[in-house]
Amino acid sequence: MTQAAWSAREHGRASIREPVRTPPDDGHDRNIPSLEKREWHAGHKPGDRTVRIVRPGAKMFRRADGQWIATENVLEPTGAVGRVWSGVRRALVGRPLELGAEEGQRVSPLTGLAVLAPSNVSSSAYATEEAMRALAIAGAAALALAQPIALAVVAVLALIVVSESRVIRAYPNGGGSYLVARTDLGIGPGLVAAAALLVDYILTVAVSAAAGVIAISSVLPQLAEHRVAIGVGLIALVALSHIRGVREAGLLFAGPTYAYIAAIVALIGVGVVRVMSGNIPAAALPQSGLGTPGLEAVGILLLVRAFSAGAVALTGSEAAANVVPAFKEPQVRNATVTLMLMTGSLAVMFLGLTFLAVRIGVVPDPAEVESVNSMLARSVFGDGSAGHLVVQLTTALFLLIAANTGFSGFPRLAAVLANDRFMPRHFADMGSRLSHSFGIIALAVIAGAVIVMFGGSVNALVPLYTIAVFLSFSLSQAGMLRRTIRGNERAKPVWTALHATGAVIMGSLVVAIAVTRISQAWFALLLMPLLVALLYGVRRHYRDVEDALTLSAPSAAIPTLQPPAVIVPVGRIDRAAVQAVAFARSISDTVKAVHISTSRESGAEFGRRWKVLAPDIDLDLIDSPYRSLLAPLLKYIDAIDKSDDRPITVVIAEFVPRHWWEWLLHSQTATRLKAALLFRPNTIVIDVPYHFEDTADLAREGTKR
Amino acid sequence: MQLKRILVSIGGASVDPDVIRLATTLAKPAKAEIIAVHVIEVRWNLPLDAVLEAELDHGEEVLGAAAKIAEQAGQKIETELLQARDAAAAIIDTARERKADLILLAMPYRTRLGRVYVGKTVQNVYVGAPCAVLAYRQEAPQ
Repeated sequence: MTQAAWSAREHGRASIREPVRTPPDDGHDRNIPSLEKREWHAGHKPGDRTVRIVRPGAKMFRRADGQWIATENVLEPTGAVGRVWSGVRRALVGRPLELGAEEGQRVSPLTGLAVLAPSNVSSSAYATEEAMRALAIAGAAALALAQPIALAVVAVLALIVVSESRVIRAYPNGGGSYLVARTDLGIGPGLVAAAALLVDYILTVAVSAAAGVIAISSVLPQLAEHRVAIGVGLIALVALSHIRGVREAGLLFAGPTYAYIAAIVALIGVGVVRVMSGNIPAAALPQSGLGTPGLEAVGILLLVRAFSAGAVALTGSEAAANVVPAFKEPQVRNATVTLMLMTGSLAVMFLGLTFLAVRIGVVPDPAEVESVNSMLARSVFGDGSAGHLVVQLTTALFLLIAANTGFSGFPRLAAVLANDRFMPRHFADMGSRLSHSFGIIALAVIAGAVIVMFGGSVNALVPLYTIAVFLSFSLSQAGMLRRTIRGNERAKPVWTALHATGAVIMGSLVVAIAVTRISQAWFALLLMPLLVALLYGVRRHYRDVEDALTLSAPSAAIPTLQPPAVIVPVGRIDRAAVQAVAFARSISDTVKAVHISTSRESGAEFGRRWKVLAPDIDLDLIDSPYRSLLAPLLKYIDAIDKSDDRPITVVIAEFVPRHWWEWLLHSQTATRLKAALLFRPNTIVIDVPYHFEDTADLAREGTKR
Repeated sequence: MQLKRILVSIGGASVDPDVIRLATTLAKPAKAEIIAVHVIEVRWNLPLDAVLEAELDHGEEVLGAAAKIAEQAGQKIETELLQARDAAAAIIDTARERKADLILLAMPYRTRLGRVYVGKTVQNVYVGAPCAVLAYRQEAPQ
């Protein structure tokens, strides 16, 4: 619009309904596409003008602080299939949450206990049994040693609690053993700790699911043969709940957590009263029989093995330190309170159950069909009693959700590692529900595979689990030891002694498990170095990419390139091809069309038609007697590239059908060509899509003409 | 009177939600459309289409809130953000252009020299509007 025309509008002579364009010389280029257009409207009275702010994508983007913010509506799918999928996804996963809603996803100590306690407290469901199973090799008499072993384990637990509460205070941003080892010991030990923690989380999920299935099969033995399938299914269920978000998962799991604690406390209470009053119940025997009695002598190796097996009770204690940012403010205090609550509950339950098992004389089931806790409940409450059923039901439910801690910790640790460029970036991305969905799905897949590999046996998985946990603990302790030595805090000698003792005990446990359970621990011993190598490899790749992409200076000038040499492969003369050639001509004067024909006659005919259509655009005709289209085209592009210094630009005409299933009716040459050129250096590929609906427009245009 | 289109002018005051609710009450039985308008008055020392970031953000917020209130009341509304020298003229022109049957004005409770003050926008719309005008004055604070 000219300035004169503009002036006419300015003075109110324009029609009201007709938008009037603003003068072009006001310093703003109105031709640049924008999410906000300004339409000038002349008013009813001269001089009354209005600028209407037109926002075509108002539902999709809203303004705030001079920026555009994408609203939830941008996630709305357009197609019917997309809408159905979106509906299913929302039903399963929930509505997408805005980033600011993350605060609402943070947990209080009570919800934190429900989220994190399961992995720590759940070990009470199998720690006593694991210690007794190790002692059973030396016969029934040796089972009495489970009590002093439980006391020793609880003493180590107390040491870990003090140490972990110091880790929480020192590292309020979470990351746990990884961050401690990385900061205080260096990248190498940090990565070993990270690998150990990742394995720990994977096995938390696998062990909990496997133990949960045993709790179910204690009541329904016929399900024992399907334990792998049930275990995998349960992992999928917990993963889904986590994709919905941490807080909701916590609320979902709070009931079973507190129900389990209440049921076990009731079992211990009734059992202790009966034992103390002299009314000791008769021990229930495993439903699958006692097996062959053990004959090995009680020696130091057996005790070490039993201690390391019982020390599975320590697993999960690190969870609170790893996820401090998941707590509400004050985060450090809330994380410490949660740590105290969960380890306190565990100590009471582990000691109580071990005391009862020894005093009543329960022996572990060699076939792993019924758990020691189930036999204890049968002994105390009676076979087939409501008490037994309640204990088993709550245990089963609780163990299923014990996998929860793995799902809380693994994605967060993976996100920390991804932010440090040790893991693929997808692990740091937050899903629509503000959870690290990629990490959750990866964990579910790996843990499911572990269940399948080890046949869902808790006994086979525990050594892998404990070796990873104790390795990360020992590195965390060593890191804190170094930090304390370097620091200048009060009671420095006390903390130094504490961390030194912790590091030695945990390191010894790693060696003990590696020596005594090598037949099972080999997997973890092999997996962890592999993981460390992978983490290093990922980091190296990202560093190379960063080196290649980083600008030499923040104010580096954007270079001016000369127009490229453009090649337009043309299969047939049609509207899509004409559109592609027109586009190619708009970006460069050097445009070359190429046609691959399967016979000389068809090639010659194409050449004749091309001369009529576009006499000013060079056409290279290539005859391909072997009927291959892509191979000669790629070689042709190679040859052209060698003869020209400019980057080769290939403009591809692509016909896009109206429905997805119509794709099947087309040969997808454009898609195959794009795929073939994707990794070709010095090549720019431009896709010019031709939508089926466009034909109607063209037809209308033709009619107008 | 059969209402087909109601134009509601809102300025970002505390009376706005009441006016939007009133508009939905009036619109529902007649199945009338509601157009909520927020006018940014541009000072004479600036070009009319000046990009006033803060005012635009505020306008967007005011209209977004209005849409939400209407949605809660079970009615979808159209929103328009305008820039003009004089809000009253812009409201009248928009009402004329959109063929509104009723202009609903939000009037915050303000006093000057001890008397309720009717702003110039309300007065000018009353005088110049081609259609019916209803001003909703906020109740006096207790």
